[in-house]
Amino acid sequence: ADIISTVEFNHTGELLATGDKGGRVVIFQQEIENKNQPLFRSEYNVYSTFQSHEPEFDYLKSLEIEEKINKIRWLPQKNAAQFLLSTNDKTIKLWKISERDKRPEGYNLKEEDGRYKDPNTITSLRVPVLIPMDLMVEASPRRVFANAHTYHINSISVNSDNETYLSADDLRINLWHLEITDRSFNIVDIKPTNMEELTEVITAAEFHPHQCNTFVYSSSKGTIRLCDMRTSALCDKHSKLFEEPEDPSNRSFFSEIISSISDVKFSHSGRYMMTRDYLSVKVWDLNMENRPVETYQVHEYLRSKLCSLYENDCIFDKFECCWNGNDSVVMTGSYNNFFRMFDRGHRRDITLEASRENSKPMQVLKPRKVSAGGKRKKDEISVDSLDFNKKILHTAWHPQDNIIAVATTNNLYIFQDKVN
Amino acid sequence: MECAFDAQKLISISLRKIQSSRTQRGGIKLHKNLLVTYVLRNARQFYMSKNLSQTQRTHHYEDVAAVREKQEYLELSGSFTELADDFYCNFTGVESDTWHCGAHQPIGQPAEVAHQDASACAMVSPSDSDLMVSEDCWSCAEIKSSWELPIPNAQANQKTVLDLDTHVVTTVTNGYFHSDCCAQSKQPQGAQCFSKKRKMDTSYHIVDPEFYLPDFGPVPCKRMRTDDDSHSDSEQLDSTNISNLISVLGSGGLSEFVSWQQTDLEQIFASQTICLKHTLLTGSGWTRAIEAF
Repeated sequence: ADIISTVEFNHTGELLATGDKGGRVVIFQQEIENKNQPLFRSEYNVYSTFQSHEPEFDYLKSLEIEEKINKIRWLPQKNAAQFLLSTNDKTIKLWKISERDKRPEGYNLKEEDGRYKDPNTITSLRVPVLIPMDLMVEASPRRVFANAHTYHINSISVNSDNETYLSADDLRINLWHLEITDRSFNIVDIKPTNMEELTEVITAAEFHPHQCNTFVYSSSKGTIRLCDMRTSALCDKHSKLFEEPEDPSNRSFFSEIISSISDVKFSHSGRYMMTRDYLSVKVWDLNMENRPVETYQVHEYLRSKLCSLYENDCIFDKFECCWNGNDSVVMTGSYNNFFRMFDRGHRRDITLEASRENSKPMQVLKPRKVSAGGKRKKDEISVDSLDFNKKILHTAWHPQDNIIAVATTNNLYIFQDKVN
Repeated sequence: MECAFDAQKLISISLRKIQSSRTQRGGIKLHKNLLVTYVLRNARQFYMSKNLSQTQRTHHYEDVAAVREKQEYLELSGSFTELADDFYCNFTGVESDTWHCGAHQPIGQPAEVAHQDASACAMVSPSDSDLMVSEDCWSCAEIKSSWELPIPNAQANQKTVLDLDTHVVTTVTNGYFHSDCCAQSKQPQGAQCFSKKRKMDTSYHIVDPEFYLPDFGPVPCKRMRTDDDSHSDSEQLDSTNISNLISVLGSGGLSEFVSWQQTDLEQIFASQTICLKHTLLTGSGWTRAIEAF
């Protein structure tokens, strides 16, 4: 139940939310008191913990609905409270996280413990006052968006209009208004009339960061479709189709699996988008549909191991990817608790490891290297000694600073760029 | 290039994955199982191509045409049909020791029950090893005779057949199907009414109408509020287009297939799980028969 299933910074980076397989959400808050001082080291402390989703049972279909949190998305802050959307396979919830550091005291009709006084005993009138109390963080569900998805929800994305958001399952995408829970608009439906003709499913979807009419969704066939909601109410017909032809020399039994896109993310600028398939990360220019502008191999040495990875189900792992604040670096996870960063501008990449041994405070992470074959150099790790049970599927990058959150199976690691 | 043995291994692994997905928590994962079927298809295609080229080289007494026809028995065209509705209705893989194969169809009777457009399903009696595969195919799900199917070489025994899409339990007695639960010709309206795709009223719980409880008959499902009720008739349940009836293909033309699968299938048989039987397929659809021993 402690397996982390999603990680997300809020828009300022002050808060970091994680969801786990047990339906819990844990929010960390950055300590910002000494942020402007030299040698400042970010610390994230637990801010709030709450149970977002509980396991449910669909009696009609005789199946259990997992409480695992698939995605968390923060809403832009409008007032003192923070809002986030969390979703499991079937239900999306809007949570309000608010602070309470004062409590009222001196009621006329109530005792301090809440019991009501006998009105006949009241002889004077006073005004209740607010007195300080220990900070209490409350999380309360404000909206529940349920019963709109037949298949498993894989994505939610808040629109830049701050009023609507989309939710995507395997075959459909729905558009919601944050204030309205009893209806949603279906904007994409790829379910064929005859299910025998089903050849692909939706794997991820996201709104454009600035254009409120534009969103993309990726498919299990390795394609990305960009849709414009202004063209029609139902966006089954895409405005753009991003697809790279398959290299026939790489054809194998598992070609379809490794080409399935597991994550899609717009850059902060909105000019590019990034996709993650099993072996690579691709950066696409929205103005060019026929091929990505950049391709980064995450762990190409696994290409010869696909049969084993299929057998142990690792080939179905859904890795996520993320941009840094200025879109110059992309990051994604791998196995053996490795994660990779690709510097787009300098064409450099680095492999780092998230482990307890390497994660002492202030310790600089040492670059790692996997030996693909032949003679293994010192400090290199051979492919056969990789631990495929240790995988980093979820990573997040602070929107402004070089602070990253990396989730291993049960632990969350927060790393910061070395301060000189 | 993977050898034929790897293809066999992949097929058996894929079948196991499909089987285990039926009992996992949270329901069947549509995405994962779609990918597994792609592997299954690729492995099968590879094995078939290897088998064909090998057979052609051996100058067996059977001519190539006959070999090809036999291999057509093994042909599995590649769509996702047999799993789609399982996922849709989130079938959790109820297992029963009483499941048996059924739906034996003689060749030469397709005229009465043939359907042109539906997914194809032709099942061969296991004893007719020399039967040529008929080009005519029909959808088992749309057989109008309500399960009354004459079967050659029928044995005086009873088998229970479970349709995984409609969850209708039928009994095969002396080669004849008798539906234990009436399969509705007209499917109830329900979650399939996405004709009005723009708006969905989530105050109604979306129900998969093809989920029938065998003991209690069809489950009435709530109907979504749509303005266009005329579309409801055209919204056919996925289950009516896909037949998951059981078909045993034993000896004869499938011996090659069965033999190389034997090692893995024996394990499956021994563990009292389902086995995947192959049927003749044409067109874009394929029907799958599942039998549990």
